[in-house]
Amino acid sequence: MSEVRISAEPRTEFGKGGARRTRRAGKIPAVLYGHGEKPKHIALPGLEFAAHLRRGGMNQLFQIEMPDGTKTLAVPKALQRDPIKDTIDHVDLLIVRRGEKVTVEVPVVLVGEPAKDGLVVHDLDTLSLSAPANALPESIEVSLDGLAVGAHITAGQVSLPAGVELLTDPDTTVVTVIAAPTAAQVNAELAQAEAEAGIAKPESSEQVAEKVEA
Amino acid sequence: MLMPRKPPKGFRKPHHPSRKGRAKGGTKVAFGEYGIQALEPAYVTNRQIEAARIAMTRHIRRGGKVWITIFPDQALTKKPAETRMGSGKGSPEWWVANVKPGRVMFELSFPNEAVAREALTRAIHKLPMKCRIVKREVGEA
Repeated sequence: MSEVRISAEPRTEFGKGGARRTRRAGKIPAVLYGHGEKPKHIALPGLEFAAHLRRGGMNQLFQIEMPDGTKTLAVPKALQRDPIKDTIDHVDLLIVRRGEKVTVEVPVVLVGEPAKDGLVVHDLDTLSLSAPANALPESIEVSLDGLAVGAHITAGQVSLPAGVELLTDPDTTVVTVIAAPTAAQVNAELAQAEAEAGIAKPESSEQVAEKVEA
Repeated sequence: MLMPRKPPKGFRKPHHPSRKGRAKGGTKVAFGEYGIQALEPAYVTNRQIEAARIAMTRHIRRGGKVWITIFPDQALTKKPAETRMGSGKGSPEWWVANVKPGRVMFELSFPNEAVAREALTRAIHKLPMKCRIVKREVGEA
């Protein structure tokens, strides 16, 4: 993944009041740390940073440029979002060096269709990987083509790009294909649930027509 | 219908739970592909949860899976009709989940997005607050 340049400015005021003023100015409060350096409190341009994350994913490599001319390579380590507005509240950025191996959570993307009558259960969203900082995979694709009912794929069976090491337990299940319930099972379960809840079964059009005639 | 298996360990007739604030967790789709997210605070009763689940399951029929990520573990009391004030607190009448804005309440996994959205819309009509449909974000932290 290519790195993205983004300019940042140091933050001078802290706490919730300062953070809110930063957000109102269209910036995202962030902290930059790693490699034993003292944490730096910075503010990132809100729209620009969000756009880079949308395009490059959570493991986008950033080159942070400060007003004094210092440049730092960093990857997002943690992101706090507002659950309603979906805006970014705060970012933790981890300082990395080019070529250094870092531990990241990479999303698993399912592709293809399993066998007929199979229902896909996505058990593991992300894989913990160790990869070079300048070649972090955006996502890991797992193919479901021809996967029979009852079959599953473990983390150890997922094919990874060269130079990337799996840190998740290889026996952890990533995706399972279970048997979809039959129509009769669904109807029986719904009838029982409706009887318990006291919900009347929806009438068919013929029943409604009979009632109207009567 | 969902309700606690054993009587509550604390008080049998508690005060109404707080409706202030926002959901602290459970704000993202964790199991399925789509979810229903609350945009307002509300007490969701076990009957409403069941009605929403039935509406959703009836629409998708088969080939999908539904998760309910809230549980009605709070008892609300009611005094009987035409009763004079006093004489103690009423008896437990409803089991509710105290839902705060941002909480994902139902999740659904289904291959066809249009059918899944329609099923979730039908479920939203059974719920007592404004909601929206959210989709699982790939790689969201």
